[in-house]
Amino acid sequence: MGSLTISNVTKTFGSTEVLKGINIDIADGEFLILVGPSGCGKSTLMNTIAGLEDVSSGQLLLANEDVTDRSPKDRDIAMVFQSYALYPTMNVARNISFGLEMRGVPKAERDRKVEEVSTLLQINHLLDRKPSQLSGGQRQRVAMGRALARSPRVYLFDEPLSNLDAKLRVEMRTEIKKLHKRLGTTIVYVTHDQIEAMTLADRIAVMKDGLVQQLGTPNEIYDDPANQFVAGFMGSPPMNFVPCEVAEDGSIAIRNRGAVVSLKVPQSDHLKGQDVRKVILGLRPEMITEPKPERSGEWIVNMTMDFDVTEPMGADTIAIGEWNDVEVLARLSPEAGLSAGENTSVQVDLSKACLFDPKSGERVR
Amino acid sequence: MTQNAHKRSGIADLLEAWLPKIILAPTTLAMIVCMYGFILWTGALSFTKSRMLPQWEFVGFLQFEKLFANPRWDVALSNLVVFGFLFIAISLLIGLLLAIFLDQKIRGEGAIRTIYLYPMAVSFVVTGTAWKWILNPGLGIEKLVRDFGFTDFEFRWLVDQEMAIYTIVIAAVWQSSGFVMAMFLAGLRGVDDSLVKAAQIDGANAWQSYWHVILPILRPVFFSAIVILSHIAIKSFDLVQALTGGGPGYASDLPANFMYTFAFNRAQMGIGAASAMIMLFGVLAILVPYLYSELRGSNRG
Amino acid sequence: MAIGRIGIYALLLAFAAVYLMPLYVMVMTSLKDIEEIRQGNLLSLPESPTFYAWVKAWGSACTGSECEGLAPFFFNSIRIVVPAVLISTLIGALNGYVLAKWKFRGSELLFGALLFGCFIPFQVILLPMARLLATLGLANTVTGLVLVHVIYGIAFTTLFFRNFYVSVPNELVKAAQLDGANFFQIFRHIFLPISVPIFTVTIIWQFTQIWNDFLFGVVYSGPGTQPITVALNNLVNTSVGGKEYNVDMAAALIAALPTLVVYVLAGKYFVRGLTAGAVKG
Repeated sequence: MGSLTISNVTKTFGSTEVLKGINIDIADGEFLILVGPSGCGKSTLMNTIAGLEDVSSGQLLLANEDVTDRSPKDRDIAMVFQSYALYPTMNVARNISFGLEMRGVPKAERDRKVEEVSTLLQINHLLDRKPSQLSGGQRQRVAMGRALARSPRVYLFDEPLSNLDAKLRVEMRTEIKKLHKRLGTTIVYVTHDQIEAMTLADRIAVMKDGLVQQLGTPNEIYDDPANQFVAGFMGSPPMNFVPCEVAEDGSIAIRNRGAVVSLKVPQSDHLKGQDVRKVILGLRPEMITEPKPERSGEWIVNMTMDFDVTEPMGADTIAIGEWNDVEVLARLSPEAGLSAGENTSVQVDLSKACLFDPKSGERVR
Repeated sequence: MTQNAHKRSGIADLLEAWLPKIILAPTTLAMIVCMYGFILWTGALSFTKSRMLPQWEFVGFLQFEKLFANPRWDVALSNLVVFGFLFIAISLLIGLLLAIFLDQKIRGEGAIRTIYLYPMAVSFVVTGTAWKWILNPGLGIEKLVRDFGFTDFEFRWLVDQEMAIYTIVIAAVWQSSGFVMAMFLAGLRGVDDSLVKAAQIDGANAWQSYWHVILPILRPVFFSAIVILSHIAIKSFDLVQALTGGGPGYASDLPANFMYTFAFNRAQMGIGAASAMIMLFGVLAILVPYLYSELRGSNRG
Repeated sequence: MAIGRIGIYALLLAFAAVYLMPLYVMVMTSLKDIEEIRQGNLLSLPESPTFYAWVKAWGSACTGSECEGLAPFFFNSIRIVVPAVLISTLIGALNGYVLAKWKFRGSELLFGALLFGCFIPFQVILLPMARLLATLGLANTVTGLVLVHVIYGIAFTTLFFRNFYVSVPNELVKAAQLDGANFFQIFRHIFLPISVPIFTVTIIWQFTQIWNDFLFGVVYSGPGTQPITVALNNLVNTSVGGKEYNVDMAAALIAALPTLVVYVLAGKYFVRGLTAGAVKG
């Protein structure tokens, strides 16, 4: 019903290629998030899905119908804009029903829809107000109401929460998740906030420079990144990247406090025979913790480190140390009573360690 | 839900996609024909020996030679220089002065501004008619000052060959200086307060802070005002017709009046066209460098 | 510095007096009879004010070979100004809408070319336009003058509307497109409702420009179709049996009244129009 297939879509503006060949299959009812840094093309992709921009090549299929050449109003898609784009001279009720009005829906039906939608979003006491008389959060709901009233097959959300303050953002995030559960409609959502992406998505498409770097579930993206960019983009504080040399037996060398330690990683066996000399070790800060005696296993390594700086964050303390002349972050529990300085005991969990090729940034498996 | 319900309904959607261009088409046509086309036509005409009707017999630069050999054109051009220079300089001075004074938190500023600007709301013909009466030799200013006791006072500029052009300056400045004031006032209001305060702390008095700090910031406004005033000066036709009729004789003629007289009253289209082309080049000579520097500036800044 | 403040006010008021003086003189002179004008001076008050000059200026003064006063020409001007203002404003609004929100390749160039045309001295188009009007059978007609004013007014009206509409957020247009509105529906429901200020500025600007025009009037009108500015000039330069300065002044005031009234009532929109049109250009 609301499945969306993006097939080899490219988009060129003048001489710049903004989208270089996007392939994404979105299932009916899926919540897909496009995430990436500014300029990666995520907003352009949204606009092509909506029909507000033409594709330079490629195809867009909505429920297996080819909509590539259809005008926006014929695609049965609704969009919530970052700036809400509410019509300033119309009251809330008309803002919500404008789309229905343009489609010739009779007044009684329109009123019914406005009633239904505004009750759902708890804005029915605002129906007579103009957008300038509403708060940011209220405007956001009206923008959503406008989209909901159309009962489209796909919702597009373009950074809808970035204009809200932090507290409101968390509230609205939950609301959107609940809405999706209730409606079951396909949602394509753009954000630059990776926490939003991780909490809301069924699947995430990480984009950079006009290409999808990886498409997967939040867990896949987090634990099994396809390349160094994805690994570094998702997760806060970001993953540690340490350039290492690979020994003949597949182990990697870490120079810690002047002494060289040989570490075996899950990929070591596979590396043994290969001609790989240099890799980048990717290890998330939460994999370097205070010693936890209850944890053990072939990938758990105990060592001592020197930490220069600590940043207490309340629930954790981030400590900054050094391996191979590169800054390394560790996540320590404040209750363990450790402070910055020398000779701090830590436990390193290498079970989820990732290795990346230093030149291409691709995963080395 | 059939496929056809959503298919682009050919003609309607095609029309919609072309709508922006269709809307602009009449204007584009008018512009191409009535602006650029006409300029080319007049230009071509200036190279022919047309008199009462266009005659497409090309005579090279003959009309331009005749033009510049014409003593009346000479007078018109030198009048334009004199008038233009005085008009622009005095309007700038008065406009700036009034703007600076008005910027000093004046009570009743709105009313005063309204008074300074109302001359722009009337036609140059009305202005010319009014000043023609005010400067009337015998019953105008001359009589007024004499009635105040200066019985030997004379003011006959309007009928004086040498001085007639200056009457045009007076009337034109009266009409346009309010506008310059408005431009400078807007500019002054845009100057950051903290700059003036910094100058004061640095020990500058009012005069110095204006001269060294504020006026340099107003440079763009100066240039805009000069371009606009030059444009008004070059186009000045109505005022001359109403105030002096170009007289006495043709002593206060300006190029625009020359063109009208020769093209329409004297049936000398060729010369008229030539004079029009010279006027165009005059405007371009000021406009093009200005636009060029504006574009350069905005690309850099 | 109190003395300084007094000096400032003194200067400002002195200039105000200078700017007002011609208006004062015109009014005073128009209310005197000819004898008083000769006896008194510019600033003297009329001893026995009379509307003789006004009545004559309106109904029986000679403007060349006719002596019908300014009345018929006043109405000529109205017949010229009203359609010209309305048409040029409407075209400017649609043009501005397209140039602001429906850009296409070459549209900016077109805008630049249009703008450039604002600055040409009209002397270069006077002759060919006369031929065009003659060819269309519109020489010396009111319709011809309306056409001329519309053609040469479009550049300004387009500029005003385009600069105004550019500030409308693009996302508003996108939202309306998704809502299913077409080109004209978006204009009608989104742009028109917010356009009152710019319509006001444009209409006042165009009204003032066209009412006060003399050049086009004198070149393209004929007997019976002249606008009031041309008639005024003729009146003042026709001295049938001695100059009647009071009639001249009354006539000038009649010609100036409409734009003055508009200025007084809606002055701030006028100023906005001046600076918007000039500074941007």
